Amino acid sequence: MNRTTTGRILLVFLSAALSVFLGAAPAAQSDEDCQACHGDKDLKSETGKLLFVDHAEFQGTIHGQGGLSCVDCHADLRTVTDFPHDSPLKPAACGDCHEAAVQQFARSIHQAANDRGTSGISIGCKDCHGTHAIKPSDDFDSPTFAINLPATCEKCHLEKVPSKKGTGFIGGYNLSAHFKALEKAGLTMSANCGHCHGAHDIKSVGDPLSFVSRKNIIKTCGTCHVGIQRGYLEGVHGIDYVKGIKDVPVCTDCHSEHNILSPEDIDSTVYATRVAQVCANCHDDMALSRQYGFLTSRLRTYNESFHGTAARFGETRVANCASCHGFHDIRASSDPKSSISKANLPATCGQCHPGASRHFAEGLIHSAPEQVQTAKYGTAHVVKEVYIFIIAAIIAVMVVFIAADFLRRILRKEKHG
Amino acid sequence: MDSAPLIRDEEVFLRMNLAERVQHWVLISSFLLLILTGLPLFFYGVRFFQLLLPSGQSFYVRGIVHRIAAVVMIANVIAHLLYTALTRRGRDNFKEMLPRWQDVKDAVGLFGYNIGLSRFLNKRGIGARFFKKHPYWLFERHPLYGRYNFVEKFEYWALGWGTFVMIFSGFFMWNVELSLRFFPLWVHDIFIIVHGYEAILAFLAVIVWHMYNVHLSPEVFPMSKVWLNGKITGKELRLLHPLEYEKILEERRKILSAEAL
Repeated sequence: MNRTTTGRILLVFLSAALSVFLGAAPAAQSDEDCQACHGDKDLKSETGKLLFVDHAEFQGTIHGQGGLSCVDCHADLRTVTDFPHDSPLKPAACGDCHEAAVQQFARSIHQAANDRGTSGISIGCKDCHGTHAIKPSDDFDSPTFAINLPATCEKCHLEKVPSKKGTGFIGGYNLSAHFKALEKAGLTMSANCGHCHGAHDIKSVGDPLSFVSRKNIIKTCGTCHVGIQRGYLEGVHGIDYVKGIKDVPVCTDCHSEHNILSPEDIDSTVYATRVAQVCANCHDDMALSRQYGFLTSRLRTYNESFHGTAARFGETRVANCASCHGFHDIRASSDPKSSISKANLPATCGQCHPGASRHFAEGLIHSAPEQVQTAKYGTAHVVKEVYIFIIAAIIAVMVVFIAADFLRRILRKEKHG
Repeated sequence: MDSAPLIRDEEVFLRMNLAERVQHWVLISSFLLLILTGLPLFFYGVRFFQLLLPSGQSFYVRGIVHRIAAVVMIANVIAHLLYTALTRRGRDNFKEMLPRWQDVKDAVGLFGYNIGLSRFLNKRGIGARFFKKHPYWLFERHPLYGRYNFVEKFEYWALGWGTFVMIFSGFFMWNVELSLRFFPLWVHDIFIIVHGYEAILAFLAVIVWHMYNVHLSPEVFPMSKVWLNGKITGKELRLLHPLEYEKILEERRKILSAEAL
C-alpha cells in the first residue's frame, strides 16, 4: 500500500469519525441492522430490483476500510426507525466528505441536464463511480480509471444521449489515436474523456469555462502537446488566436474533435493527401479572404499543380500544404522565418528537390492569374490564355472545314446515286 | 494504248513501305500511351481517370509508363529523321512533303468548292465579271493533289512541331532540378502549361482532323487500310492523288517511247 492510499484511508476514517461524532443525535442504524435485510441475496424491491448489498465487498473498499457505515452515506436513513424504510432513498451524501467534487458537479452540464429533466436520465456520483464497491480512480478496476473511463462515459454518450453533431460523433473517439494509445499501448496519460472535458465540472463546449471551448482548447491540448502549443502560438494562426479572432483555426478545426488520428493514418483529416481540403475550408472561403486579406483559390490552384494533382490520385510523396508552409507554426511568406520566404524557399523545395537553386524562388507556386504582381511571373497564365484561344480557333476551323467536306460528299453521292 | 492502259485500276502501288508503317505504328502506340497517361494530370477531377488510377502507386506507375512511352516516341522521331535523311525514298517523300503555295490554294479551293457559294452566285449572275477574270475563285472543281495533299502535309508538320515542343518541355519537366538550374521558376511554369495545352491541341487535332480524313470521310469510310498494308490501287491513286498518278503515267510513257525507239 503506497502512501497516498494510506493517507486517503486515514482521511476517510477521520471524516467518518467526525460525521459520527457530529450526527450523533438518535442512535443511528448499525451496518448489522441494514444487513438484516440487505444481507439477503434474494431481496428484491416491488419492481424487481435486487436490493442485496455485499457487505464483505464494501468492507474491502476504501470507504469500508476507512470505517464508513451505511448511514454515513445514506444520510436520510440515520433517523429512520420504521422498517422497511421508504424508498427510493436520496442519493448518497458524497458531498459530506467530497465537498469540492460535489460543488463542481453542481455547476456542471450534468447537473444542468438533471435540473432540466428532459433527457429522462438523472446522473449522479454513482453513475460514474459505482455504488458500494467504489474504487479509487487509480485502481485498475475503477470505472474512472484512465483506461476504463471512455467506456464509462460511453454508457450514456454512445447512444442514450445523442450529440448535436450526430450519433457517430462521440464514438469516433474509439477510433482515435488517443484511444489507441490508451487501450493498445496502455498509456494512461493519453487523452481520455476526462483529460479534455474535465471530470466533475464538465461544461458545455459553448461555455467559455469549458476546457474544450475555443478559449481554452489550445491550453487543454497543450497540457500534453506542449511543444506544439508553443509553435502554434508563434505562427500566424496562434498570433490571431491570442488577439481573440474567432475565425482562426484551433487544434480541433484541423485535427477534428473526438476522432483525432495520427497524420500517417489514411483517414486522418491531416493525412498527406487530405490536408489540402482542411486548409481550403478557410483559405478558399471568399468571405474570410476578404475579411482577413488572404489569397483564395488555394485548393484549386494547388490541385492544378503537379503536387496537387498527384495528391488527388493518392500519391503521398508529393508536397502538400504542410510540406512547404509548415503546420503548427505556419508563418506569412513575408516573415523571414517562414519556410516559404524568398530566402528560405530553395531550402524548403530542396527537401524533395535535391540541390534546389535560387531559381525556385523566382516565380509563384500555385498562383491564380489575378494574384500575380510581378508581370513576368504571370507569363505562364498568359501562355495558357493564348493556347486556349489557339486551340479553340484551330479546332473550330477544322470542324467547319470537315463539316463542309462531309456535306458536299453526301450531296454528291445523292446526286449521282 | 487504249486497249492496255499504262496504269490499270487494279494495279497495286506501295504508298507506305514497311519502315514507314512501323514508324506509324510505333507513333500510334506511344502517342496513345502518352495521351492516356498524361490526360489524368489535366483532367484530375474526371471519374474515369480516378478509376483508372485508384491509388498513389498506380499514379506513380502512370508516370513511369509516360516516360517510357516518351522515350519510345523520341526513338521513333530519331529513326524517322535518319530514315528521311539516309534513304532515297525518305528524301523523296520529304521533298514531296515540303509545303508549297499551291497547298494554301488547294485548302481554300477545297473549302470554296465544298461550300459552293461562288458557283451559286455566278449562276445568279452576281460577280460574273470577277469570276470570269479570276476563275480560281469560282471553285468549280475539286483541287487535284499530288503524292501528299495539304491535309497530310498539315498533319505532318503539325506533328513535327508538336513533337518538338513536347519533347523540349517534357525533358525539362522530367528533370525539374536541371530545368531550374537554368531557368527561373516562372519559365519552368511555361513549360508545364505548354506541355499540357500542346497535348490537348494534338489530341483534339488527331481526333478531329486525322480521324475524319482516314476513317470517317466517305472517301475512305470505315478506314483507309494504307497504314496496315501500305497498299493503294491504281484507281485510288487516280482519284485521290491525280497529280502523282499523272507523274507515274508520264514516266511510263517516257520509258515506253524510249523502248519504242
